[in-house]
Amino acid sequence: MIDIALTEEQRDCLQELINVAMGQASDKLARFLNTFVHLNVPNIELVNFDSLPADFTENYAQQNLSVVSQGFYGNEGIRGESLLIYKVNTLDDVAKILGYEPGEISDNEQLTDISSILTTTFLNGLAELIENQLSYSAPRVVSSATSSLDDHLKQLSFDWDLALKVDISYMVTDYSFDCDMVLLIPGEAVKNIQLVLERILKEY
Amino acid sequence: MDLPQINQFLVKEINVGIIVIDAEAKVKFINQFVLSNTDLATDYQEQSLFNLFPELPEKWLKRKIESVFTLNTPAFTSWEQREYLFKMRHTRPITTENDYMAQNCTLLPMSNNADNQPELLGFIIEDATDVCFYQKQLSQTVEKLEISNRTDSLTKVANRRYWEERLAIEFERAKRHNQPLSLIMFDLDKFKNINDTFGHVAGDTVLIEVAQNVAQNLRQSDLLGRYGGEEFAIILPETDAEGALVLAERIRLGLAMHQIKVDEGTVIATLSLGVICICDDYSQYEEMITRADMALYQSKRDGRNRTTLYQA
Repeated sequence: MIDIALTEEQRDCLQELINVAMGQASDKLARFLNTFVHLNVPNIELVNFDSLPADFTENYAQQNLSVVSQGFYGNEGIRGESLLIYKVNTLDDVAKILGYEPGEISDNEQLTDISSILTTTFLNGLAELIENQLSYSAPRVVSSATSSLDDHLKQLSFDWDLALKVDISYMVTDYSFDCDMVLLIPGEAVKNIQLVLERILKEY
Repeated sequence: MDLPQINQFLVKEINVGIIVIDAEAKVKFINQFVLSNTDLATDYQEQSLFNLFPELPEKWLKRKIESVFTLNTPAFTSWEQREYLFKMRHTRPITTENDYMAQNCTLLPMSNNADNQPELLGFIIEDATDVCFYQKQLSQTVEKLEISNRTDSLTKVANRRYWEERLAIEFERAKRHNQPLSLIMFDLDKFKNINDTFGHVAGDTVLIEVAQNVAQNLRQSDLLGRYGGEEFAIILPETDAEGALVLAERIRLGLAMHQIKVDEGTVIATLSLGVICICDDYSQYEEMITRADMALYQSKRDGRNRTTLYQA
């Protein structure tokens, strides 16, 4: 396994970039959703492969979850997979938030629609900050009440060594809605991110 | 060929659909792949996307298009949630069941510079008909496997493993909701004699017919399983001891009246049954099985062809 420890400076830099990207994302989302969107300052955490399934098991014990995965890739060898994790009982308002009619589209499609918007808006902002450009695969529901998150983590198409866990809480006026976003990044790509962070740190 | 020519050639020849619209959903460009697989005329330019493709879910798609222009991010549709967006013919009309091409679509923001607000939106339409077809076949196969995995191959009732899994679930449910739950376990009397007299093939026939005959007496929610050899067991949710006892007697008398025809003649099979109802003292479902078995052997000791209710 590749040594994936970020220095304190790199970590602060990444946290700052994520904060700014989140701010921009919430601004854009407010405009699109036509309502005030409040976004908590995200908590970022680097987790290694072994501890993540245990973390999730603890956090989401006894909960019905829906998980949507979306791959991303960009220049300079940056790539990974974003997981958005929802507790099923918090999903009632998604259609309203998106401005859809009740029953207009299936629950799973509401879920992939909102996930794609959250993921791509945030990651596009982050990519812009580091002068990169990202492309995305289509979002997929990888886990629902009938299949487990554990299984998905074990079956990911690439071996990831480090997970950048970003907990976001989106609060939308009149609706409550929150989810966790987790970015899984393979070791090679983490090295590339470190190079980018070093470059940015030098520039300031 | 220069680069623009190469690009133009590929866009024309590639087996991927491309439709470009502006923010007002006026169509700017449609590539050959889409034209070939629809009945569109070539004078599509500046017409509304929703006029050209009346099948599109207008309200939802407009909102989605808006997200691409406002957020400057791509949006997606997948055949798994929505089999197709545009009604197009596909290239497997003979070997698949789909009426239209199953599609994965990307709605791509287009501008000269990635930082600018998008000027146009490109639909990239990928043919997923094959994947969709194989996925459906796979799901059907998995379903068949799941059924065969929980079925006793001879008698077609539940096998022991599945029967116990279900008992564990019903036991927990009964405990949680404080509802009655009963079991009947039964064994064919002197099955060895049947085998010795008529042969193993006849023995198999008897097992199959017994399972069918018993199953006729059950409700949808009851579960008959083959516990092993000539021993069977029935889970009876929401059934008290009295109800289970009545059913056990009906099963026993019904089978005793039933003639089973085998090559060498006719067999009358009788059963010894043990009945038990859940009680607060049991903390594990296995305790019910053990006690139902004890009641069953009491029936055997008392002379067979009878039912015993377990009483502590």
